Amino acid sequence: MFADDPFRFFRFFLGVVATVYATVITLQSLWGWYVWLAGSDRYISLVRRYVLVHGLRLRFKTFWGDVLICILLTVAFFILWRAQATMDYIQQLLHVPHPRR
Amino acid sequence: MSPTPDANSQKLLPDGQSATVDTDVVQTSAPSRQLSELPKDELENLAEEFGLDAHAYQSRQHLVAAIHERRQLIASMDREAMLDVVKWGRRPVTANATREQLAVEIVRIKSMRFGGLSQAGLKVLGYLRGVDVHDTDDVPLLIRRLKRKEGFFTRLNRKRRSLIGSAVSRILGEADTAAYQFLPGQGEDPPDPASAPGRSASIKEEIEEAGLFGGITSRIKRSADQYLNQKLDEIEARIDRKLDEIDRRLADWRDKEVANRIRILKITLWASVIVAALSLIYSYINVYFVRR
Repeated sequence: MFADDPFRFFRFFLGVVATVYATVITLQSLWGWYVWLAGSDRYISLVRRYVLVHGLRLRFKTFWGDVLICILLTVAFFILWRAQATMDYIQQLLHVPHPRR
Repeated sequence: MSPTPDANSQKLLPDGQSATVDTDVVQTSAPSRQLSELPKDELENLAEEFGLDAHAYQSRQHLVAAIHERRQLIASMDREAMLDVVKWGRRPVTANATREQLAVEIVRIKSMRFGGLSQAGLKVLGYLRGVDVHDTDDVPLLIRRLKRKEGFFTRLNRKRRSLIGSAVSRILGEADTAAYQFLPGQGEDPPDPASAPGRSASIKEEIEEAGLFGGITSRIKRSADQYLNQKLDEIEARIDRKLDEIDRRLADWRDKEVANRIRILKITLWASVIVAALSLIYSYINVYFVRR
């Protein structure tokens, strides 16, 4: 199936394997941090507040260039996705056999 | 400061009559025992703390009555005047000390140099040194009465100590002494040294008041305290600097970490967009050129 269209392999890999893997790893990490920071120890409470303060002190304008590029790339990605869907639709209308079929 | 009986409690006069006192006297943290119930040594100690000669009273009941009377007198004194005396005498008290605490410190002042002391302060000092003070007395008269109260031999001893003090002062040299500051109370910051009033005590005056060894000991103790305070301040400043450095490094690390994550995200998005564009071009060529 993937031999006809190498991009399909990429989409499948990115959409399923990489996303699931990244989600599991991220959730595991977040859960570990949550459990550690939720402790009732006095020093953990101190660290929790310190982390919160550091989070609040984070300046958006330090990274605003990269963040803007990421937003634009995400928009471009969704536009391309939509274009790919339209292309698939045109392929069906023209009865052109798709390499996947 | 040694504890004094709670003045808030009802004081019993020797004949059993009760009397109530002003609420200001009440604020000491002493056990609520009546004066007449105190042991003899405690009673004598209390009398001395209030500037009374315990041996001058014939019986225990007379002493109790005298202490009671002295406490009533202290309760009626002007607190600002008492603070003036404390500043003048450079006694270590907090600014919110009670009248009784101030009185105990004033009694400990033995100085006979009255320069810089207000009229109200002189009156307070006179009351606590057992001088006959009237409201109409002016400053020179008050000073004369205080000096007369001192006694011949006490004055002679003071003059002798003053001479020794002068000699020691010439040998050691006079160090600069800071202006008077109240002790910081609980949860209070130390007062600004620039705004603190008062006068400086020299080594000569200290020897004159406390004797050769007492004066030198006091000076050494004060120097040691100053050195210790200076070192503690330095250590505190060093710790503060270290904490600031750690905080700054953590902030740098946090910024770098966030920037790194965003860069990884950006690279992933670039790769996704490029491959998606290639995929679209591939599909377009496949639909319009290859399969047609």
